[in-house]
Amino acid sequence: MTDITFGAANPAKVDTAPPVKVRGYWQSVAYRLRYDYVTLVFGFIILAIVLAALLSPWIAPMDPQKTSMVYRLKPIGFKQFTLGTDELGRDILSRLLWGGRTSLLMGVVPVGLAVLIGGTLGVIAGFIGGKINMLIMRTMDIFYAFPSILLAVAISGAMGGGMANGMLALTLVFIPPLCRIAETATTQVRGLDFVEAARASGAGTASIIVHHILGNVLAPVFVYASGLVSVSILIASGLSFLGLGVEPPTPDWGLMLSTLRQAIYVNPWVCALPGAAIFITSLSFNMVSDGLRQAMDVKM
Amino acid sequence: MKTSFKWLAAAGLVMGLAATAAVPSAHAESVLRVAMTAGDIPDVTGQPDQGFEGYRFVGYSIYDALINWDLTKSDREATLKPGLATKWSIDPADTKRWIFELRKGITFHDGCPFNADTVVWNVKRLTDNTVPQFVAKQFAAMRTRTVNIAGVEKIDDGKVAIIMKEPDSLFYIQMSFWMMVSNCQFEKAGNDNGKYALMPSGTGPYKFDKFVPRERLELVRNADYWDTPRIPKHDRLVLIPMPEATTRAAALLAGQVDLVEAPSPDTVPRLKQSGMMVLTNAYPHNWAYQLNFVEGPFKDKRVRQAANYALNRADMKEMLGGFMIEGYATVPPNSAWYGKPVKYEYDPKKATALLKQAGCYPCDVTFAISTSGSGQMQPLPMNELVKAQLEEAGFKVKLEVMDWNALLDVTFKGREKFPQYHAVNVSRATQDPFSGIFRFAMKSQNAPAGGNWGWYYNAEVEDLIKKIYTTFDETQRDKMIVKVHEIMNDDAAMIWVAHDVNPRALSPKLKGFVQAQSWFQDLTPIVVEDKTN
Amino acid sequence: MWLYVARRILYAVPIALGVTAFCFALVYLAPGNPLQLLLPPDASAEVIELIKKTYGFDKPIPVQYAIWLGRALTGDLGVSIATNRPVTGEVLGALSNTVILSVAAVILAFSLAFTLGLLAAWFNGRWVDRLVTGFSIVGVSVPNYWLGMVLIIVFAVNMNWLPATGMGSKGSESFRLTDWEQLRHAILPVVTMSMIPLGIIMRTTRSAVSEVLNHDFVQTLRAKGLGEFAVLRHAVRNALPAVLAVMGLQFGYLMGGSILIETIFTWPGTGFLLNKAILTRDIPVLQGTILVLALIFVATNLAVDLIQTAVDPRIKRA
Repeated sequence: MTDITFGAANPAKVDTAPPVKVRGYWQSVAYRLRYDYVTLVFGFIILAIVLAALLSPWIAPMDPQKTSMVYRLKPIGFKQFTLGTDELGRDILSRLLWGGRTSLLMGVVPVGLAVLIGGTLGVIAGFIGGKINMLIMRTMDIFYAFPSILLAVAISGAMGGGMANGMLALTLVFIPPLCRIAETATTQVRGLDFVEAARASGAGTASIIVHHILGNVLAPVFVYASGLVSVSILIASGLSFLGLGVEPPTPDWGLMLSTLRQAIYVNPWVCALPGAAIFITSLSFNMVSDGLRQAMDVKM
Repeated sequence: MKTSFKWLAAAGLVMGLAATAAVPSAHAESVLRVAMTAGDIPDVTGQPDQGFEGYRFVGYSIYDALINWDLTKSDREATLKPGLATKWSIDPADTKRWIFELRKGITFHDGCPFNADTVVWNVKRLTDNTVPQFVAKQFAAMRTRTVNIAGVEKIDDGKVAIIMKEPDSLFYIQMSFWMMVSNCQFEKAGNDNGKYALMPSGTGPYKFDKFVPRERLELVRNADYWDTPRIPKHDRLVLIPMPEATTRAAALLAGQVDLVEAPSPDTVPRLKQSGMMVLTNAYPHNWAYQLNFVEGPFKDKRVRQAANYALNRADMKEMLGGFMIEGYATVPPNSAWYGKPVKYEYDPKKATALLKQAGCYPCDVTFAISTSGSGQMQPLPMNELVKAQLEEAGFKVKLEVMDWNALLDVTFKGREKFPQYHAVNVSRATQDPFSGIFRFAMKSQNAPAGGNWGWYYNAEVEDLIKKIYTTFDETQRDKMIVKVHEIMNDDAAMIWVAHDVNPRALSPKLKGFVQAQSWFQDLTPIVVEDKTN
Repeated sequence: MWLYVARRILYAVPIALGVTAFCFALVYLAPGNPLQLLLPPDASAEVIELIKKTYGFDKPIPVQYAIWLGRALTGDLGVSIATNRPVTGEVLGALSNTVILSVAAVILAFSLAFTLGLLAAWFNGRWVDRLVTGFSIVGVSVPNYWLGMVLIIVFAVNMNWLPATGMGSKGSESFRLTDWEQLRHAILPVVTMSMIPLGIIMRTTRSAVSEVLNHDFVQTLRAKGLGEFAVLRHAVRNALPAVLAVMGLQFGYLMGGSILIETIFTWPGTGFLLNKAILTRDIPVLQGTILVLALIFVATNLAVDLIQTAVDPRIKRA
């Protein structure tokens, strides 16, 4: 919910790598990343989290929905429950593993959709310019008038809970900043000599966009989007926490945090676990995004 | 450059303003602070919202009804007692006329007198949309209680008659829910309910003092209250809405409140350890499943009996830390209408045998349940346990979890709209025979018209209820009510699980509270010992 | 410059209008009928009609918007469906409580973050710098609603030092920062709320100061024998406007984004109001609160922009 601040405050400052470097650019990025150990470590953490979530049906020690009234609210390390149990006696570890699926999905899908929609709108606005640009960008300005969490709460609060509504709300929240970044990058490239040259040599609009614009728009959009994943996970879990995201009994970190909160006087440290999962994931995505930004030489 | 420091100074100023010269006000008065489970402050303009909690803390504090509840005993179920009416009876000449004799010399908090005109004005306020005092929202809240009223008539200054559409021997009980509002005060507010909400006036033991939306309602002692033993023993009553059990527990532990409603059983050990008193008592409450008598396996009486035999209610009680009474019938055993119902005690073998006899083994059923709600106790763990126990005996239970309002919607609309559900889990108040028993059994109450969700029908019950409504002799009438209650048990009309015991936690500095066996409670005798706060 | 100010203010008008349209549209995003909350399920047709009229649900949509906007401009945001009280009063009453939290959090964050950011820039690349940079990333990555819970576990549940929830036993109306009994209630929420601005202001300070320090003229000044303290003062003076601008923007974010923290701490501000409106599906309150918060956000951004222009006339954006 915060990284947007940087983008929102100065989206005009987006700078792409000089287009001259297009050839060999990705190799140099990979080269730089190889020696950035911090980014690599956090990258591995993300990989591990993703794998754990994907493999949860096989590695989770118990059924995440299996309740047991005898084993309600047990502490960490009680018998076979490595991380304790929740208010319905369900195994926390298994629910954390399964919950990773929904939480990651809620983090990644909206950003992906927003990259597609926002990016397309931005390229259109930047490439065509004029009234279309005005129309698209001024509409985006309206959504900028809301802090991101407020916008997400407004939309899903009005539409009601549920995972689909939550993802829709988040997608709408992320479209404006991505649109702005794509628009700025497109506008900058559009006026450059080599695009003019391509146009003069008879290249069609589509061909110019694919060959010359996309290459330069992609890097800043990608870096920005990678930072948004962390924001998205935080807001999505926040929505679930408020009862606006995933519905019970589906395991989800935000929802787990919210139901376990009721037991804060009974079993305090178990209550903190799902939040720790959210934190580690969001931190890892932020670190990796930071590393990518440096490696790809994108200033924001 | 300088400008930015000015800016900083401005920000500091905002802080300063927020902190304007506070003199910590020394309280010489004694204050009782109560944490309610409601999400907001109940309506103060007469008929409260927020369920019976609104009546408990706001309704019967600011107002009186013609008939009040006697909440002074903790060892028997609360009964009715004279309120603003000293006597009530059916007109011997016309079984559609209820006559109320009114108490003399009563004045409202604003000084206006209470008399027959006030009662007429109040009845019209909730029944006649042509009068200026009509309030749509208040009418909506009372609609189910007003359907049978045809009119109201002043006989003389001390007597009114309320005229029924159909004879109704139980009507007077409804009048215990009608708060008598001051007509002069309402007129002073320009007949505007919104304005009246800032200056409500009744005849009750507390007067309205102030009100911060969503946060607190402050009432002060009515030193001139007519029912002198009930003049409050503290100066001020503060009501604070706190819907979350954790928040209430935290507030009690931090000394922010003195009495909390419904602490969750999980937090009780912690509260006791910190010296808090945790009180419980039976009250007319029923936590059960209403069944579908048209679709699905519960059509068969043997399946309904099997479900009741399959439940180990002692286990449930243990899970709730002892905070429940095992439920084997619609009303709790201390009720006057309990009688001698068939008791389906835990017998899983018999349950399995019955299922096999009925040819439903394994027996697939779907229950609609809620995540929370007024009187629902701990719906998720309790339903999970019921499910586990039923499955032990050969049921296959699917729990359809929804939020409280959605479940109420399913309940109101009835099985016809929701044939996929074989049972609904909505807890009920049982302090009067109609809302506690009859409405789940009468054909005329088949949902969506009323509370008979699953269209239970029994001709004998139907006949008895008809007779009850035209029987004005109380002993005879009560006998028939007991009979209805027993027949429903014989039919296994519900799956009975628990009666709540309504835990409350009190700070050790409170003395004198008597927990009545009722949804309502009398806070007036409470003495707050520490006067410094 | 005045021309710029006028233009910037004019530019905010269509945005504000767009915000009102969005807020109005929220009613139509909502599935189902808000009327249902008011009525028993067996309400007769006349009752439904009567209540529809009282609440104005019977008019066509554009007319409803025009009426709604007209009323909103005069400060009338309708009536809460759940409580029957005017929405404006509900929102304004809650607003001051959120302002207390946000102002305190931003000031706390600023004083800490500016000092730490400065240190990081000064010791560029050394362990202090790494620590501060790492901490700032933690600040923006931590789910603050979880942090709030952890603080409650540590300071309220385990140690019993600070209260877990609420604004004190006397309620928000008589809340005074000078009364320790009540101030205690604000400590955990303020600390929790300051996490994000702390991270962001720290990052901004660090990069703004180190940018100044890396300028050629600073090297020249140093070479000419200017004392380290004087160099630092110079850097601070140049970096401060940008940092203060970020602080202003953060204030706007906190005001609008307080829902989770206020829910955790049951702090009776706008976020708490919003949460309640969602739970009770009280659309007028939802609408009104979001409108007010969004307009405050627009106004904050505008103010930050204008003040920045006034402070540093070199900044002029289109």
